[in-house]
Parts: sequence; structure tokens; C-alpha cells
Amino acid sequence: MIDMPLGVIPQLIKNLFSRPMTVAFPHEAIPIPEGYRGEHAYDVDRCTSCTLCARVCPNRAIEMVEAPEGLREAYPKTYPQIDLGKCCFCGLCQDVCPSGALSLTKGVFLSTNDRSTVLRSPFPADGES
Amino acid sequence: MSEATGTEMMAKGSRVTDGFDLYFGPVHPGSGNFGVKLTVEGERIVAARSDPGYLHRGFEKLMEYRTPIQNAVLSDRLCILESLNWNLVHAEAVDRLCGTEVPERAQCIRVIMAEFSRIQSHIIWYGVLSKGLGFDTGFKVAFGYRDYVLDLFEFVTGGRVYPAGYICPGGVRRDFPEGTRRRIEDLLVTMEKMTRGFEAYDSNTIAARCRGIGVLALDDALRLGATGPVLRACGLAADVRRDAPYEIYGELDFEVPVREEGDAFARSIIRKREIEESIKIIRQALARLPAETLPPVKPKVAGKIPEGEVYVRNEIARGEAAVYMRSTGEAEPYRCKIRGPDLLHMIPVLEHLLVGAEVADVPAIYWSLNICPADMDR
Repeated sequence: MIDMPLGVIPQLIKNLFSRPMTVAFPHEAIPIPEGYRGEHAYDVDRCTSCTLCARVCPNRAIEMVEAPEGLREAYPKTYPQIDLGKCCFCGLCQDVCPSGALSLTKGVFLSTNDRSTVLRSPFPADGES
Repeated sequence: MSEATGTEMMAKGSRVTDGFDLYFGPVHPGSGNFGVKLTVEGERIVAARSDPGYLHRGFEKLMEYRTPIQNAVLSDRLCILESLNWNLVHAEAVDRLCGTEVPERAQCIRVIMAEFSRIQSHIIWYGVLSKGLGFDTGFKVAFGYRDYVLDLFEFVTGGRVYPAGYICPGGVRRDFPEGTRRRIEDLLVTMEKMTRGFEAYDSNTIAARCRGIGVLALDDALRLGATGPVLRACGLAADVRRDAPYEIYGELDFEVPVREEGDAFARSIIRKREIEESIKIIRQALARLPAETLPPVKPKVAGKIPEGEVYVRNEIARGEAAVYMRSTGEAEPYRCKIRGPDLLHMIPVLEHLLVGAEVADVPAIYWSLNICPADMDR
């Protein structure tokens, strides 16, 4: 005879009628709190090109790059290009940014099959701007 | 020692198990990038050789090329299972070198977060020990409860497992968000419920598999360099939080749990008492949390660390952790030596305990030591 404490029986009955603790991902996801360190939001028009974000990044994931030919007139300096493959989402770039151009959002769905999307260009895509 | 390796013997179709090399890890689901080679004669282990190094990432060298705030982020990874405690050791070393006065509110927040880190690390310990013993219910219950703590970490630090140097030189990276106090109080009630729930498991399954197994005598523990719960389970009340208090620990009232047996059961049961003491500490720190808000710590890009050297030790969940930091007045430390508790637990202590044990008792001995290869290999 297995020596089982009887205290588990109410728990067993309760579990029969309780909802599972997990959610049916990807149809639903648990809410993400404010202040989460997820995908970056960057506003090139507010950026002062101070390079502090690139200098503070512990993983050297930020590189200051020049604008492509067509945009060089509008954006004459260098701007941060973020390599999400190197980023550890520490948020130091957000804390150090004096103009609030760079911030971390609640975006967590970052997995990709396309390697080129890992490099986040600071400039608006062609045709926009 | 064996004349032929286990693989060679199996290839020959040999049924002789004397001098057989049995590899436990490094790809075992619970061993975590760490292996131990056991030489067995039948069921009896005659020699054990730890095989570390699979998780070496070279933190000590990396830290020589980074500023303190960047190193605070790196210090998360020293032990994935208790990042905030490692954050605290590193931050204290830099604070002491720079002579920074940390505001009392930041000190209270540091203690609260470090103790939660200890609690969730002990929950993982319980979970992997249960898993190692084949007791899946304990594993699932433990990891379920751990998620409640991770929810708090996510709310406060912005990340579930990696707080990204939340405890950083100068204080904490940001103040508690609104509503944290209520969440902490609720979480402590949940944790108390959890420790009561573990009692039934401890007195049945865990006791049946662990009692009298892997007995570590106190003089052996001291000789081999055991610290933390492993040492306390052998009967010595050694705890840096009480013996050499840091932050606000000196002003808090808590006990250092001790067991006399020194076996795997004592090591695993002491965890529950430590969680209870951590709950007590968090309640006291929360009660004395000053009301004023803290400004966020602005990362310094060009600051210099004053010349000097410090050795800072803290009590983390696994034992005594320390950082020796030397600065020559540059922006980066000249040397940052990290002393993790697990190197000694996983090499001399583990090898000592395994020799003479039965193969079936290896999981109980192995996971009762609360291992973390990340902290050992660094």
C-alpha cells in the first residue's frame, strides 16, 4: 500500500475543474508589463548623432552608419544601426540617449527566418521619409 | 583506473562492468553543460572526475575591456539562475572602489531583489533535484511557483531572467514602479503557501531518496572549501550576511538555518528554511523602505574608476561569492577576479562525495549540491 497523504485528494478534485495556468500561444499571449525591454523604437529625426548609444552598448551591437546616397542630404551625420543578433536588450542605450530618440518597446516577437531583418537600419525605408 | 573505456568495452560486447567509465553529463538534461566521469565497479563508484569548461565565456577578461555599467549587464550572466545576486556583488565592488554612497532606498531595493533572486534560485534547486530523482511533480510545481517570482522581476526590471544589471554601481537602474509593494506582499503570501506545500514532498519522496546519502563531514567540508547551504547542512552556521554584513543586512533580524546531518537530505531541506528566512528579510526591508523616489541611474560613458583594489564577498544562494577588483585609474577595471561558490562544490566536494556511492544515488548527491556550471566556468 502506498503511503499517500490524504491531503492531496482535495487538490486533485480542485485541479479537475480549474483552468490551466498556461495560455494557448500563439492565439493568446500573457500581457507584457510597462517598462519591458523589447524591440527598439528609433526616431531618426530626434537623433543628435551624439554616439553615446554606440559607446555605452556592452555588446557593441550599435554601429554608427552614414545615410545611403539619396538620403544623405536630409541626414548628413552618422546614425545608429542596431544589430539585434548581438543586442542583449539591456536598455543602456535608452537610458543614455539625451534626446529620447531611442527607446525599448514591448515588442517581443522578434524571431525571423530572414537574416537581413536582424540589422535595423536607422533610416526610413525607400519611398517613405 | 580502467584499462579500456566504456565505449570500447561495449563495442567488444563485454558484460564486465568492473572499471567501466560512466559519463554523467555534459548533455544530461539536468546537468547543465557540466559532466562528471565515473569509474564504476558494478554499482559502486570507485573514482569520479569532474569535467568542467563547457560553459567558459571568459567574463574576467571581458570585464577588463568594459566600463562598470557595462560590466553590470555582463554580471547577469555569471550565474543565470541568480543574476541579481551577482549584480549586487559586482555593484558593491565598484561602489567601494569609487566610494559611492548608495541611498537607503536603493539599498533596501537591492536587498529585496537579491533575496527574491535567492528564493527563485532555491526553487530551481528544488525543481532540478526533484527532476533528477525522477519526481516530476516536484519539478513542475517548483517551476510553476518560480514563474510568480519571474513575473515580479519582469515588472520591476523589464526582463524575466536577465535583469540587465538592475542592481548597478550607484544604486539600482530604476525605482520600483507603482504598485510594486502590493505585488511583493502578495508574492510573499504565495511563497509561504509554496513552502507549506513542499513539506509533504520533502517528508516523503525527497526523504526516501536522499536521507543518509552523500554524507559530508564538517572537517571535510571545510577542507574542501564548501560554503553556503552545503556548509550549513554540515552543522556550521556560516553566512556572510551575518558574519560580515553588507547593505542593510546588519540591521535586519534573521536566523541562519543549520542542519547537523550533512547528508543530501539535510542539504535539500535547508533550502526550505532559507526561503522562510528570505521572506522574513524581505518583509523587514519592505517595512523600512524610505518613501522618497529614486532618480534613475544615468549610465556613465566616460567616468574613471579611482585607483585601488577591493575584495567584496556576499552570500548568494549557492554560497560565498566574491569579486576582487583592481583599478589603475582607467575607465575599465584592470583586473576583475570572480570567486564563485560552485567551483569548489562541483570539483572537490562532488568528487569526494561520489567515491564509494552507488550509481543510483548520483542524482541525489549531484543535485543536492545546488550546482550552477555557469558560475563555475564563468
